[in-house]
Amino acid sequence: MTNLSEKNPATEASSWRNWEKYGFRFFFIFFALSVLPLSAAYWRNLGAIYWLHISYEDIFDITRYFPWISLAWSGYASLIIIAALALAGASGWALYDRSVCRRKTDLDKLHKWLRIILRYRLAIALLGYGLIKFFPLQAPYPSLSNLNTAYGDFTRWKLFSMSLGIVPGYQRFLGLIEMLSAFLLLNRKTTVIGAGIVIFFTGNVFVSNLAYDNGEGVYSLYLVIIALFLVSFDLGRIYSLLFQQKETLPADDALQWPPGWRANGRLAVKSVLILFFVIFYGAKTYSAYRLGDYYQLPQRKGLPGAAGVYTVSVFKWNGNDLPYAASDTLRWKDVIFENWATLSVGTSRHLVLDSTNKESVATGDLNRKYELSGSGGRQYYDYTVDSIHQALYLHNKNPHYPEDQWTLYYKRQGNKDWLLEGTDKRGNTVQVTLEKLARRYLLKEAAKTGRTELLRL
Amino acid sequence: MSIIKSYFESEGLSDMQSPDLTLAGSGPKPASVRQATLNREDLPAWSTSQKILFRIAFVFFVLMSLPFNAGWYHNLFTIDWLHLHYRDLYDIARFSPGLGFLRIPRNSWLSLLGYGNWVVLLVIAVLAGFVWSLADSRRRQYNLLYYWLRVIVRYRAGIGIIGFGFTKLFPVQMPYPSLGLLNTHFGDFTAQKIFWLSIGIVPWYQVFAGIIEVAAGTFLLFKRTTTLGAVMLLGALGDITYVNFAYDGGVHEYASYFVLLALFLLVKDAPYIYRLLIQKKVVRPFYIYPQLNGWQKATRYILKGISLFLFLGVLFYVQYINFRYDPYKQPAVKGVSELRGNYEVQVFRINGREIPYNPLDTQRWQDVSFENWSSLSFRVARPGLLDLSNGGGSPMQDVLRSFEITGTAGGRNAFHYFADTLHNVLYMENKNMAGARQGRFKKRSGKAVKDVNRTADRHAVAALWNADSIRELIMNEKYQINPLAYSTRRDREYVRPVLPKTGQMVLHYRALQGGDRVILDGLDINRDSLHIELTRTHHTYYLTPSTLNAGTY
Repeated sequence: MTNLSEKNPATEASSWRNWEKYGFRFFFIFFALSVLPLSAAYWRNLGAIYWLHISYEDIFDITRYFPWISLAWSGYASLIIIAALALAGASGWALYDRSVCRRKTDLDKLHKWLRIILRYRLAIALLGYGLIKFFPLQAPYPSLSNLNTAYGDFTRWKLFSMSLGIVPGYQRFLGLIEMLSAFLLLNRKTTVIGAGIVIFFTGNVFVSNLAYDNGEGVYSLYLVIIALFLVSFDLGRIYSLLFQQKETLPADDALQWPPGWRANGRLAVKSVLILFFVIFYGAKTYSAYRLGDYYQLPQRKGLPGAAGVYTVSVFKWNGNDLPYAASDTLRWKDVIFENWATLSVGTSRHLVLDSTNKESVATGDLNRKYELSGSGGRQYYDYTVDSIHQALYLHNKNPHYPEDQWTLYYKRQGNKDWLLEGTDKRGNTVQVTLEKLARRYLLKEAAKTGRTELLRL
Repeated sequence: MSIIKSYFESEGLSDMQSPDLTLAGSGPKPASVRQATLNREDLPAWSTSQKILFRIAFVFFVLMSLPFNAGWYHNLFTIDWLHLHYRDLYDIARFSPGLGFLRIPRNSWLSLLGYGNWVVLLVIAVLAGFVWSLADSRRRQYNLLYYWLRVIVRYRAGIGIIGFGFTKLFPVQMPYPSLGLLNTHFGDFTAQKIFWLSIGIVPWYQVFAGIIEVAAGTFLLFKRTTTLGAVMLLGALGDITYVNFAYDGGVHEYASYFVLLALFLLVKDAPYIYRLLIQKKVVRPFYIYPQLNGWQKATRYILKGISLFLFLGVLFYVQYINFRYDPYKQPAVKGVSELRGNYEVQVFRINGREIPYNPLDTQRWQDVSFENWSSLSFRVARPGLLDLSNGGGSPMQDVLRSFEITGTAGGRNAFHYFADTLHNVLYMENKNMAGARQGRFKKRSGKAVKDVNRTADRHAVAALWNADSIRELIMNEKYQINPLAYSTRRDREYVRPVLPKTGQMVLHYRALQGGDRVILDGLDINRDSLHIELTRTHHTYYLTPSTLNAGTY
């Protein structure tokens, strides 16, 4: 034992055991192939960004790089392929290092570099998700149509998202934890704490992705693998300290930066990254949050004064009056106008759902399908208003029903109700009377009064 | 908290010999020698503030960790160990801190969101700590007592979270939604209900959460894995605490109780971890364990053995039985086998008058479902008084298990039935206990007196049948679950079965075509006569069915 003084602590001598060397070479290649953005599609997307008007959605996409080599098995195949490549590469590397004539690679130095890259990769990923949760954008409050859909008519994924959407404060808390671990990762000395939080937090995200059939499973698993790798560095020390309860030496993972351009460069790169992914991205998400610019929801305003839930008191199909019927697949059960330009119709038909369960950021109202993805029981129409002819041009947002398009002429009746009359693409005609319902939602009422008050609904 | 800080610099303790204490892993010495004994007097002295803080902490955490309410002891001493129910053990594991006689009622303004009881204990602890400081001022350190305090807190937290965890490991705490709940609109639930259901739909995830909790608890029962267990406990219960605040789940106080215990258990190791992994300095940890003599060792092994056997062995078994045959939030008795599934109301006649279908009609039933168990649910477009409780607790009688209706609006009704399959009669009781709860509410605010009176009138009119008239059916219910799930606890509740008197119906049923068509005739809760014709619908939910179902129906 040499010098144990506090200023200059002794560290574990960095001797590599053989299996550690093999393991390291494998992981080095594995991460080199998966962290470095080698995919052409990623660069194409990057090139397509209009940098002067970059949006938070663009930055989110930048943070979310994943090497999609194969989409098989929900993308898990990509990780397996990369692992196979890494295995082959590591074997070659081992042979190279064993050949006597050549200089051996300095694994210590490579390891330190790898840790730096992984710390930043992981931190950026967490900031990407953390900020859209901290300014609750990831899961919006359920739409009127979603509030009026039976629980069993949603997929697990959608229920998960809506259950988060009703509690923005909780979303913010989750975002805060992701950001906290990102900051701990950006600071070399607190890496193990940050990565430890990621193992628990993102590990839980991974398991719930499996459970709820979300599309983020492979990506969250990938982040957990990075965190596990970062923690594994200190695992022996943690074991020695906490389980064996014996004297433990610290480790040195600091890369020496000679003063001059290298130290300055390091500082510059770190500053730019933080400026971009924390300050700039944070400002972008904040302003989107203030403007209510949810990337899932359409932006165009709906028919003025129409937002609400309506019962279809009269329904004429090609001139035939159809009375209320619980399981008639033709008759509209009810109609909902959202605040934005979406109209949804309750139906007893069993629908083929549009289920995009990935965190993809869509542009254009037609592509913003959060309201209908994973939701059955209703048909969702995007519409344009022609106020001169008092007409609505409806277009089913679900790609499985491309022919389902309507031209409906509207007329106010009284100050709450509407008459709609028109034809679909196939020439069927409808005449409907919509009577507005005064709906109150337990979800909102109980939030106002608390659960200890008496409620009659 | 810097109680341990002074040990970092301490060196050279390992050479001293005395039978009093065991010191593990201190100082520079050969790795093979990991234990040494030393004199009490040779241990470094604690500072005055450390001693005072410790005394307060000791009293506080002992008070927090031990049960001080009569109910807990009553449960403990009335357990029939030969015919156990999971709830017997669960109730040992689950108690909130607070002194029984000083307990602050939930609705008092002093309750401080439920944390009032903690404050009371803290005040007592501070006072006791100062008295103790006066009486014992010459004491140099409390290493041993600190060890024992950690033992108490470890066992309290460990057993508590294991009890909590097993109801998830065998997923019964959050049941998969019943048909009635699946047919209810998303906006017609409370936030609490939505959270519970969102876990209920993914039973395997619930199992995962249960494994984490049980594992954390198990780690806490062993001294070397305590920190790992405490970190897991802090993470899991920290999240649950926040969830309870966000969704108004009502269990925030109990969840944060474990957060507090976990934080306390981390006080010892956190500085080591900080020093080693963040400051990158060498750490010579300082752990002191009492050296036990023969009988003390034996006692320790026996107590530890009993704890592990009871809370990891026996509880595992009784919880499994509960999951398999008697899931506690769901009725356990099979429903009439022909009457299962969703039905559309074809004909609805009330007092001879037929009402055509209109989703807004305030009398006509719609959306009728017979559950796999002995419940009927339907919707009427008429506002009603809502039961906003969690629908938990531990009732043995199916009629009192109300998860399928609590926190649910949208005109949903749920009824329990006692089925007389010989005469095809269903004796039904309303599961919505909001009316029964009103009494309590009335006392507090006097706001809903009018409602109370109206409901009370209706109940007086509606008493169609009582415990005596169908005594045999009611008593028979006790035996309608698998005998493996019989327990003394169940027997005791069926000695004098409770009927909530929340509205009763008697319906005669005829099941045609194997139950695809059902005809109901009888009297509803207002003694109006009903004639209802139902047709089974084969609605396919978009929600994936559960692959891990509680109960046997």
